[in-house]
Amino acid sequence: MKDRSYVDIFTEWDIVAARQLGRNEAKEIGFGTVDQARITTAISELARNIYLYAGTGRIEISRIHEKSLFGISIVASDQGPGIADVRQVMNDGYTTSGGLGAGMPGVKRLMDEFDLVTKQGVGTTITTIKWLR
Amino acid sequence: MPHEVEKQYKEIIERYLHTQDERDLYAGQKFSRRFIEKEISPEEVIGIHKSALKSLFPDEPNELWHSFDFLIEMMIHYGLALQEHQTLIRKQEEMDLEMKIAAQVQSTLLNTKVPEIPGLDIGFLTIPAKQMSGDYIYFLSEEEKSASIAVADVIGKGIPAALCMSMIKFGMDSLQSDQSNPGKVLEVINKIVEDSVTDSMFISMFYGKYDTNSSVFSYASAGHEPALLYKASRNNFVELDAKGLLLGVQQTVRYEERSIDLEAGDFIVMMTDGVTETRAAEGFIDEDLIKEILLSVKDKPAQEIADAVFEQLTELQNFQLLDDFTVVILKKDY
Amino acid sequence: MNLQVELVEKNEMYCFKVIGEIDAFTAPILKKRLAAVQDIEGLYAEIDLSEVNYIDSTGLGVFIGFFKAIQAHGGSMKITNANARLKRLFEITGLDQIIDMEVKEGGNCDATV
Repeated sequence: MKDRSYVDIFTEWDIVAARQLGRNEAKEIGFGTVDQARITTAISELARNIYLYAGTGRIEISRIHEKSLFGISIVASDQGPGIADVRQVMNDGYTTSGGLGAGMPGVKRLMDEFDLVTKQGVGTTITTIKWLR
Repeated sequence: MPHEVEKQYKEIIERYLHTQDERDLYAGQKFSRRFIEKEISPEEVIGIHKSALKSLFPDEPNELWHSFDFLIEMMIHYGLALQEHQTLIRKQEEMDLEMKIAAQVQSTLLNTKVPEIPGLDIGFLTIPAKQMSGDYIYFLSEEEKSASIAVADVIGKGIPAALCMSMIKFGMDSLQSDQSNPGKVLEVINKIVEDSVTDSMFISMFYGKYDTNSSVFSYASAGHEPALLYKASRNNFVELDAKGLLLGVQQTVRYEERSIDLEAGDFIVMMTDGVTETRAAEGFIDEDLIKEILLSVKDKPAQEIADAVFEQLTELQNFQLLDDFTVVILKKDY
Repeated sequence: MNLQVELVEKNEMYCFKVIGEIDAFTAPILKKRLAAVQDIEGLYAEIDLSEVNYIDSTGLGVFIGFFKAIQAHGGSMKITNANARLKRLFEITGLDQIIDMEVKEGGNCDATV
């Protein structure tokens, strides 16, 4: 049982591999079917963003434990163009535009914690957590 | 709390599966409101359904339970879309509120006082089509010696037009007393507008000045709808037009200035295109219609004339305003 | 409501023929077509309005924007075959003093031929 594992995103098939990894971990941690589906959807969105706009990147999945809480953490990182206007990306209504970062408000809703660090020309790292209740 | 919902859902569906009674469906319909109240997402509803069935029929084949997992996956984006929709509605409510406040600020900012000039009766009306107006009226008087009136229409509607209008107001306020002749006023305002607006924004303005001593009304127009002069002595109308370009198109523009004598019973009608471009069922109204309306109320006080024009024209377009509607009447008493 | 814009290019002259009503909904179509050529140095453009019976203030804004843009690039423009209603609109707004208006019968700009 590893505490940390990752999938590098190069092709669209790697999105599926990232989903699979996330689902297995979520199941083992003890998330119910609905939460499993939420976590994999979030991974899917993050991985698609990497695939479509950054080209390549990595999805890293780890189990976390804090006080009496257990959870899953997903870190999506890339060395892509970065997001120019984070506020805009996190706005509802932007989802439909299909541009870089589309779907991020959805990821934030599906998960409990969400943190985005981006720098133009350097890349983007999104860390998101869901706790087991 | 979700456990409570789960338990109740299971009871209702169990009853229904036994009886297939309409009453249980009705109970289900009422219960579905609680899902919404408690913000239970569509995928969660399927999760609840799945676990209810699983405890009622534990021996069903695995394919059935997997199919529910598939359905949950299907519903996640519907759930997200629903939440997004709710957030956008809340945002819109906030914006509506801000618009209301902005409209109040605008009406305070553009508040203007009707001059009291002996022998001259002034009436006016300005109604925005939406919350913010692009029409503008400005009155100015030099004690009782003269009264000046500007009627402007910012091309375009809504917030950009409203913002642009406050600029005209400050332009007007900054006019010096030696710049009070209509042609000169428009020249100065044109420069201010040209300096500060974008290429796609323009303003039309009619500016008139009435001299109490001589009863002369002088006027100039910056691309604005001509005013109408009703001559009581001849019982007919004369168009008051003067050559001049819209404000904000070119840096330096000269404005032709003209004047007429106002005699007892005469009145001047200044309008914006929200009035002249009233759309009736069969198309745009004829200019003669406005004259007919004016003739029917020509002996009334200025304010009643303005009100009558508004009432009769809006009735033609089913009381809907497509554009900001502004009319000013200056009437010389008998 | 729809707006059609046809363009004929002849000897460095750009002839637009507009068909329909130019209002807040259709004006962006015309604006986009005009914007594509407005930055050409020394442009000469003619806009045929014989098939246009209505222009609202947004539409007027498109013409003014176009006029300003080509003027800034040393170009010029002409509006042809405007009907009485449109002519009055250009007169009231004073635009007839800065933009050439002309009536041409089947002139060299007939895009439908």
